[in-house]
Amino acid sequence: MSAAVTPTAVTPALAADRVTVRFGGLVALNDVSVAVAPGTITGLVGPNGAGKSTLFGVLSGLRRPDAGAVHLAGVDVTARTPQDRSRTGLARSFQQPELFPLLTVREHLVLAYRSRHARSRLWQDLFLAGSLRRPPAGELARVDALLELLSLTDVAGQPACVLPLGTSRIVEVGRALATSPSVLLLDEPLSGLDVGEAERLATALRHVVDHEGLAMLLVEHDVAMVLSLSSFIYVLDFGAVIAGGTPADIRADAQVRAAYLGDADQLQTPEPGDAR
Amino acid sequence: MLQYVIAGLVIGGIYAIAAAGLTLTYASAGILNFSFGALAYFVARFFYWLHSQHHWGLLPSAVIALFAVGPLLGVLLYLVLFRMLQLASTLIKIVATLGVSVCVPPLATLLFGNVTIVEAPGLAPEPVSVYHVLGVPVTMDQIIDYGCVLAVVIVGFVVLRYTDVGLRVRAMVDSPAMTSLSGSSPALVSIGVWAASVFLAGLAGVLSAPIIGLDPTDYTLLMASAFAAVVAARLRNVPVAVVVGLVIGIAGSLVQHYLPPSSSFTAAVIPSIPFAVTVIFLVYHLVRYGRADETDGVGGALDRAILPHGGNRRAAFPSAGGPGARPPLHWPPAVLGIAVLCVAAFVLSSFWVGLLAEGAAYAIIFLAFTLVVGEGGMIWACEATFAGVGAVAAAQFATSHGWPVLAAVVAGGIIAVPMGVIIGMLTIRLGGLYVTLVTLMFGLLMDNLVFTRTIFTQNGIGVTMPSPGFATTSRALLFLGLGIFCAVSLLIVNIRRSTTGLALSAVRFSEAGSKTIGLSVLQMKVLVAGVAAFVAAVGGAILAMSQLSALPGNFATLGGIVWLAVLVTAGIRSNMAALTAGMMFTVLPGIVLEYLPASWGQVPPVLFGLGAILVAKNPDGWMAQQADQIRWLWRRVRGTRDVTARVAAGARGPLADAGPAGARPAAESAAPPRGLSEVQDR
Repeated sequence: MSAAVTPTAVTPALAADRVTVRFGGLVALNDVSVAVAPGTITGLVGPNGAGKSTLFGVLSGLRRPDAGAVHLAGVDVTARTPQDRSRTGLARSFQQPELFPLLTVREHLVLAYRSRHARSRLWQDLFLAGSLRRPPAGELARVDALLELLSLTDVAGQPACVLPLGTSRIVEVGRALATSPSVLLLDEPLSGLDVGEAERLATALRHVVDHEGLAMLLVEHDVAMVLSLSSFIYVLDFGAVIAGGTPADIRADAQVRAAYLGDADQLQTPEPGDAR
Repeated sequence: MLQYVIAGLVIGGIYAIAAAGLTLTYASAGILNFSFGALAYFVARFFYWLHSQHHWGLLPSAVIALFAVGPLLGVLLYLVLFRMLQLASTLIKIVATLGVSVCVPPLATLLFGNVTIVEAPGLAPEPVSVYHVLGVPVTMDQIIDYGCVLAVVIVGFVVLRYTDVGLRVRAMVDSPAMTSLSGSSPALVSIGVWAASVFLAGLAGVLSAPIIGLDPTDYTLLMASAFAAVVAARLRNVPVAVVVGLVIGIAGSLVQHYLPPSSSFTAAVIPSIPFAVTVIFLVYHLVRYGRADETDGVGGALDRAILPHGGNRRAAFPSAGGPGARPPLHWPPAVLGIAVLCVAAFVLSSFWVGLLAEGAAYAIIFLAFTLVVGEGGMIWACEATFAGVGAVAAAQFATSHGWPVLAAVVAGGIIAVPMGVIIGMLTIRLGGLYVTLVTLMFGLLMDNLVFTRTIFTQNGIGVTMPSPGFATTSRALLFLGLGIFCAVSLLIVNIRRSTTGLALSAVRFSEAGSKTIGLSVLQMKVLVAGVAAFVAAVGGAILAMSQLSALPGNFATLGGIVWLAVLVTAGIRSNMAALTAGMMFTVLPGIVLEYLPASWGQVPPVLFGLGAILVAKNPDGWMAQQADQIRWLWRRVRGTRDVTARVAAGARGPLADAGPAGARPAAESAAPPRGLSEVQDR
């Protein structure tokens, strides 16, 4: 891992190291290195087609890179499956919410919690009356706390298919958080949310980062929001990292301004919510 | 050798025509037509009716059967059924077409009379002339067969490649949504495609008649071989399907040439060819493309977006009102149902109690489907095989080896477990439709290789299956069956309400979503498959008990598919539906037998078939529908009081929140709620 792109000296919670992905002749990611420090929000911005979602796929394990490596807390996980990475503490959300339509919001969180904390229940589930036992106190507390934090308590009993898009996104974030991840990848969590929802979610995200010390990588179109939330930001364009630095660095970067030619105003206005 | 190639081309040509018809509708309509064999039989039977029974001339009979009845049947089926299936889930598509295949043969018997047909003529004038080509005798029937294959290939190629109609069909294969947006009517194109496909079915049927006679089962078996060619073509590539169909025919013929004709090994190899072809090509697809999934390469982006659940293959179930994530416990109706049966055991005559005991055994087998299809989301077509394995094994242990009966039943169940687990492991990475096809082929293979052995068939009487000492009467047997049914039901309820059950339904809904929270249900699914095999085997042994002997013929795979159809008609995710379906399956024919004239004997299978077809309209099954309506009525009866109480207490009901569901309570009084209310009321 080259020191130049590492924002801090500590071992990053998640790092992509010189990752290259090709789709036929098209190079979607070219030698991209990013690092996410523990306990911080790292932003990832870039115009459409810059390779943000591809990078997300590589980091979460849904896509195998043609070259390069992915490290989770210093361990090379390039060859590991998404399930495996999830169990070692990596969670993500999707641009299009991937919820389970007929499971309730609470069940989404319960399932995610158990997939991390109460594994290997195959035989118990089949042959013991496991379903009749009360859920452990830790599970109840954690799930209730998350529902509360994300203002989902009111819809906890509803199946996901009746939720509006904004709420669906928040449920996805909640499901990811319920696995108690050490790293959380969020793919445009704020798109489709109204201003109020977006601000509430942003507050909740900052809260979990501050209180639980998890690392977060945030892809978001709303550049102003990313600048205000993140402590370190990478800018991708045409599959390559064209800049990396603090919000102030990014605002001052000429290359970034060129990539975001029409969006130069956005870079100037750090107040969250203004851009919508 | 040449004569074997020539002979192989005859049956291969029929496979090729059938495979072309099957891929055509799959590629353009997304429906693999499991009723293809039955439709082929219907047209062939109609041709026989006109030509042999009513002595019409060969040409008019052939023209009417092939060019009028076949295509019209296709159009009719499209209008009443296939049209509604396009956005349905894989399970519903399979079951609805299975319903047609259950329905059509008895309908043909009702329409054309129940006559024993020893020999059926083909399209060649009788007596059939024989020519000698390169020293090999070739009949006129065979020459017509080759001619038809050639004509189908050439006409198909020209139409698809060079005509406007062909362009529209190809556009629809690529993207139905875009086709309709660019001004072509997919409905018209679909009508044409279905007419063509059933025309091909009829052609294959009429060509097969001189070779295999006129038994509906043989037609379905013949088409099962065509399925192998369809798998090889990845369900969509018509030319590959045609070529592989021809090759399968020639391979079968060559095997007969090179292997000793009367050895049991040869007899075992020939029926294994379609299964072997299927496995070889699936392995090839897996190695070459990394996966074998029927949704690969389906449609354009727009089509994928409008497919149910974004085209996710694990979503084998409909969402709106579909079999819910976790249906509620139906304690009152379940207890009531069992109580009624217990009372009936003391009230009814031994004839009816015997039928009920048999029905309870079927209900246990049906629970295996509930487990593997309803919970596991794997549409297996070979549970009847496991039931048969349990039955014959238990009978062997109990009768030939003198084991205690219950120990023999358990042992029979244990034998089925590794089979279920192995098939589960082999098919776990396949798409839903491929799983169905592989398990279907496996079941047919077991029918041919294992269940035909004399040690099991005992020349048609089967091995005696004794009952345990405490259950020698039908009544005691009914109680035994009900007891086992209840035990298995509790197991299923337990799974449904557990983390594993939650995880299984999560994976059915969104694979990507479940991967990222670290769910891997591969192990669970394989385990569920193993448990289901055990349940099916135990049910099979109990069924053999109530029938007094283990007759392998009662556990034929095609019969098992009828079981699945009957169960889905009642409801695939409800234990009570399994019980009702089991009872219906034996009691309904009993009623017809007892109270109606003998000519009505074909009515129950027609009803079972129609029921399965109606699943297209009501994917939950009618049990769930009835339950919803009763619950709705119940809520109406006490509705007013309830709502006021809630408001007074200031309690927020599960439906009283903001969002689209907020309007629900008001809507409830207007229309019966479906599906969702079940989940919420839990």
